[in-house]
Amino acid sequence: MIRLRGVSKDFEGRFILRSLDLQVEAGEFIFLTGPSGAGKTTLLRLLYAAERPTEGEVWVAGRRVDQLHRRRLPLLRRKVGVIFQDFKLLRRKTVLENITFVLRIHGVAPRESNRRAQQVLKRLGLQHRQSALPDALSGGEQQRVAIARALAYQPRLILADEPTGNLDADLASELLSLLCDINYQGATVLVATHDHAILESIPARALVLHQGRIHYDGMWPP
Amino acid sequence: MIQHALNEGLLLLRQRAGVSTVLALALAVPIALAGVGMAVNRWLGPVAELSARESSVAVLLHPHLDREMRQRWVTAQSTVHPEWTITEVSPEELVQRLRQWFPYLEDLVGTGDASMPPLIEVATADPDSLKALNDQPEVLAVGPQSSIQQLLGEVARRLSWVVVALSAVLLAAAVLLAVVWIHLELYRHADELTIMRLVGATEGTIRGPFVVAVGVSGVAAGVIAVFGSLVAAQGLSQMVTVLGLPEVVVTPWMVSIQLAAAVILPVAAAAFTLGRHASEEFDE
Repeated sequence: MIRLRGVSKDFEGRFILRSLDLQVEAGEFIFLTGPSGAGKTTLLRLLYAAERPTEGEVWVAGRRVDQLHRRRLPLLRRKVGVIFQDFKLLRRKTVLENITFVLRIHGVAPRESNRRAQQVLKRLGLQHRQSALPDALSGGEQQRVAIARALAYQPRLILADEPTGNLDADLASELLSLLCDINYQGATVLVATHDHAILESIPARALVLHQGRIHYDGMWPP
Repeated sequence: MIQHALNEGLLLLRQRAGVSTVLALALAVPIALAGVGMAVNRWLGPVAELSARESSVAVLLHPHLDREMRQRWVTAQSTVHPEWTITEVSPEELVQRLRQWFPYLEDLVGTGDASMPPLIEVATADPDSLKALNDQPEVLAVGPQSSIQQLLGEVARRLSWVVVALSAVLLAAAVLLAVVWIHLELYRHADELTIMRLVGATEGTIRGPFVVAVGVSGVAAGVIAVFGSLVAAQGLSQMVTVLGLPEVVVTPWMVSIQLAAAVILPVAAAAFTLGRHASEEFDE
């Protein structure tokens, strides 16, 4: 599902990632961890082609994304569900519209997208907030809307950047079990987190990044 | 996504009603002017044809010449200038013409045909050849050698060029206004557009609302422009038909061109601006 070959990324001469090699098979559940500034978010951005590597190859779902023409980017991004650290919700659209909009982009009919959005909001306990605008929601609720949006179109790969950052322990645990459910249904899940409690809550493969290199790649706890 | 483009585009129009109205008017004025220019240019065809033919010059003879003397003079001129076609205008006909051309001078012309001087009309392709008549004792005055059609044609031709140039400048300004508007909206919606791209929206989906907003302004501009040029053409027609000239007509193909220009120009400018913005976004 994901393959990196000799991937490096630098910003104005400062290396964020150095010569990364990585292979992730379809259906895996992986934690990406490391201290702040280790390059977790940059690695995720390379995977959904928000950045291009300085050198190396990035393959996602059989496509080399570092050379992907910008016209092809939407097709890649429709296969990848991204849960952003800063939520990235559309401020002028309601909770329901934020989800149905993405479904409509994916070609789902209006009625079906409405049904699916309601379903996923119910699953995340946000059904009663469907008419609210994002600014009227708490940080945790906005996080759950961002998750609902990423899950609604059942992508083959889910990239989550600190998805539990704004959630309390119970909601964080609930979210994690949700991601596990999706993983059981066949989706590949890559969760970037620096929260050790989350990391230790379920046994899974973990990649530890340190100063832009993969410091550890194996089951966690080690 | 057409529904999305329509909804968001109309929302953008409602939110920026002032700018979109100014844009519509800024587009409508030059397009209406261009429409009038086209109609006048088309009208100039038959007028030019008229003026290219023989011009008719009025020659006033001395009132003391009686009918016989006038006949003799006309025969003599016809012999010397066989290329002239000389017609005598009777005092009754002269009164009738004056009444038609200047109805407000009814009191003056209504005093009777006895006071009218003898008038002849000389039709010729070379009106300058009539200048020599001024030296003849029988002739009181020779009318202007340039016909009213020629004068009108020349003025209209020059005016139509001024109108074309003016409308081109104004149209360029209106298109620039559309470009600036789109730039400002892109800046205002920058975060939203980035999110849309990140969740897989195509450029078509992103650009749609802006194109709809500019397109609707263009349609409104087209309708205003067509209406304006029809009114202007009607006004011009009323002025020129009094002089016996054909009407100034805005034809269906002119209407089509006006509507097409009103929609296509701002939409193309918007598409170009959006395309450039997408490239810059991607390069960043």
